[in-house]
Amino acid sequence: MIVYKYFLKTALRHKMIILSYAVIFFMLSIINGIDTENKEITFDETKLDIAIVDDSNTDLSRGLKNYLDENNNIVNLKNDIKEIKEQIFLQQIDAAIIIPSDFEENVKGKQKSLEVIKDDRKISSIQIENEINKYLIFANASKVSGEFKTETINNALKENINVEILEKSSDVNNSANIWFKYYFNFTAYIITAIYIAVMGLIMTEFKDEKLENRTKISSKKFLNYNKEMYLGQITLGVIITGLFVIGSIVLKGQHLEEVNFTKYIVNVSIFSFAILCLTFLINNLTKSRFIINGLSTVLSLGTAFISGVMVPVEYLSEKVITIAKFFPTYYYIKINNMDISSLSDIRYELIIQILFGVAFLLLGVYFSKVKQKA
Amino acid sequence: MDLYRNIIYQAKNSFRDKGFLFWSLLYPIIMVTFFYIAFSGITNVNLEKINVGVEEDSNIKSILQNIEILNVEEISDRESKEKLEKEEIDGFIKKDLSLIVNDSGLNQTVIKSILDQIVQTSALGKPIEEFDFQVDYINDKDQKENGILVIFYSLIAMVSTYGIYSGIEVVHYIQSNLSEVAARINTTPIKKKTFLLAGIIVGLILNFTSNIILFIVIELIMKLDLITNIGYSLIFIILGNLFGIVFGIFIGVSNNKNINVKTMIAITFTVILSGLSGLFNTNIKIMIEKYVPILAKINPIAVITNNLYKVNLLNNTDGIFEGIIILLAYFLILSLISLVFLRRRQYDSI
Repeated sequence: MIVYKYFLKTALRHKMIILSYAVIFFMLSIINGIDTENKEITFDETKLDIAIVDDSNTDLSRGLKNYLDENNNIVNLKNDIKEIKEQIFLQQIDAAIIIPSDFEENVKGKQKSLEVIKDDRKISSIQIENEINKYLIFANASKVSGEFKTETINNALKENINVEILEKSSDVNNSANIWFKYYFNFTAYIITAIYIAVMGLIMTEFKDEKLENRTKISSKKFLNYNKEMYLGQITLGVIITGLFVIGSIVLKGQHLEEVNFTKYIVNVSIFSFAILCLTFLINNLTKSRFIINGLSTVLSLGTAFISGVMVPVEYLSEKVITIAKFFPTYYYIKINNMDISSLSDIRYELIIQILFGVAFLLLGVYFSKVKQKA
Repeated sequence: MDLYRNIIYQAKNSFRDKGFLFWSLLYPIIMVTFFYIAFSGITNVNLEKINVGVEEDSNIKSILQNIEILNVEEISDRESKEKLEKEEIDGFIKKDLSLIVNDSGLNQTVIKSILDQIVQTSALGKPIEEFDFQVDYINDKDQKENGILVIFYSLIAMVSTYGIYSGIEVVHYIQSNLSEVAARINTTPIKKKTFLLAGIIVGLILNFTSNIILFIVIELIMKLDLITNIGYSLIFIILGNLFGIVFGIFIGVSNNKNINVKTMIAITFTVILSGLSGLFNTNIKIMIEKYVPILAKINPIAVITNNLYKVNLLNNTDGIFEGIIILLAYFLILSLISLVFLRRRQYDSI
C-alpha cells in the first residue's frame, strides 16, 4: 500500500490548502443558505417595495395605488428615471410604476397606459405586472357610463379562495427541508469544484515525469498502482464530503427529525462517488494545472447552472435540461428536490449516477493504460 | 532592446504552454457559453401543463377546461388525496372553489391565481364579455434580463483579473529558490527588473486580448447587448487586468509554496470574490450589500461588476471615480509590497 500511503502523505502536506479551500466554500454555502425561503415560490407572496410616481392623480390611479398597497409597501419617489433605476439596482425598491397624466384616457382606449420598471432579479416582481393588468381589465369591465368605479373594483378584488395544504408526514416545504434542499444542492457545486482542484493538486506531484518513469519500471502492477491511487482519492473524498455533511448537522442538527436526512446522505455519497470517478478521469487525461483548474471551475459552475443549483429548475428551458441530463449533477439535484416515502422512489436516479461514475472510471483506466504504453 | 527581446521570449513561452493558452483564451468563452445556455430560456418561465383535479359536478369545470395551461380531470373527493400525494395532480378544486394542494410551488401558485381571478370576476357581477383579457396596459421599461446580465458582468469582471496567473508564472521564473529556470536566469546578465516588466507586459497583452475576444463573442455571436458604454467599460477592464497581474505577483512573492499551490490560491480568491459579487446568484450579492456593505465596496471584482452594470445598463456614471480610485489603490499597494519582497534577494545556497 505504498502508493496509497504516499498519496495520503502528500494530501497531508497540503492540508492547509485543502482545509482553507473547504472552509471558504463552507462559508459560501452558509451565505447561500441564508434567505433560502425567499427563493421558494410559494403562497405567502412576498411584500414588494414599489415606488409609484403618479402624474395623473385620478380616482383610477388612486384606486390602483390602494389595491397595490394592500399586499406591498408603497414608497414615494420623485419622477427621476435615473434615480429610480439606481434605487432598483441597489435593491432599495423592487419596482417603480410611472403613471402619466393621460392615464385614464389610455385605459379607456385599451392602450398602453403606464410604465413599469421592475427588478428582473426578483422573481416575484413579475407578479406586479399581472396585478396591474388585472386591475385595469376589471376597471374597464366595470365602467358605468364611461366612469370608473374604483370602489367596486377594489371590493371585487378582495375576494380570495381558500387554500388547504394536505398534512403530510414530511412536508417538503417546511423551512428546515427547504434549507437542507438548498444546502445539499449547493454542495453539488462545491464537491465538483473541490474534488477536481484538490485531487488535481495532489496528482500533479505524482505526474512528475521522473517519478512517472520510475513508477513505470518498478515491479508495481499497473492496476494495483491505479487501485491504490483511487483508494487514496476515495479516502480524501470521504473526508471532504464528510466535512460538508457534518457542517449541515452543525448548522441545522436540531431539525434532522423534520427532514429525510437519509435521502440526502445516500444521495450525496453516490454523487461524490460519481464526481470522484470524473476526477480520476480528468487526472488521467491531463497534467496541465491550468486545464485541471479550468475544468474545476467550468464543470462545477457550468453543471451547477444548468442543473438547477443556482437557478431553480422550473426556470430552465427544455433545451438546457436536455443538456444537463448528460451530467450526474442533474440527477443528484432531482433527488434533493423530490419528496420521497422510501429510498426505492429514487433508485433510478441513484443508479444513473453510479453508471456515470463507472463509465468515468473505465475511461480513466483506459487512458491511463494508453499513457503507460506511450 | 533588452526589454523587447525579453517580451518576445516570454510571449513564445506563454504560447507554447497549451494548457495556459486554453485557460486564457478558451476557458472564458466556455464559461460564457454555459451561462448563455443556462439562461437562454429563463426569461419566459416555461410552464408545462398543470394537472388539476375538479370535484364532480363542479360548475367551473368548463371554464377551467378552456384555460390552455390546465389539464382538467374530474375526480371524487376520495381519490383526490391519493392523487395529490402521488403528485399526479398539483391541486384539487372542491365544489366551493377551495383549493387543496400537497405542497406549494410555482404550479400551485398559478392554479390559485386562476381561481382567484374567477372568483373576483364573478364578484364584480359583470357579464364575461365585458372583460377583455387580451389587453396589455403596461409599457415595459426595464432592460430585459437584468438579473441575468449581472451574472455576465460578474463573469467579465472575473476574467478581467485573470492576469493573476501570468503574475504567478513570471515570479516563478525569477525566484531562484523556487524554480530551476529562475536559478539559471539568476546567473545570467538578464536584469530581474527587465524580465519582470516583460512578463507583466506579455501577461497583460494576453489577458486583455482574451477579454476582447470574449467581448466579441458576447456581442456579435450571442448578440447580448452588454456593452453600451465602451470607453468606461474598457477602463474598468484594464483596471481589472492591472489588479489581476499585480495580485498574481503578490501571491507569487509572498510565500514559498510551490506553483500548484499558488495557482490554487489564485483560483480560490477569484472564485470567492466573484461569488460575492453575484456570480452564483444575485442573492449572495444582495446579502453582502445588506449586511456587510463595506465588503461590497472594497471587493475589487464587485467594484468592476457594479460599475460595468452601472455605466452600461443604467447609463449612470455617478460615483464612478470612487471605483477607479479603489482599483488603482489596490494596484499601487500590491505593487509596493511585491517590490519590497523582491528587492535585493541573494541566496547563499538554494
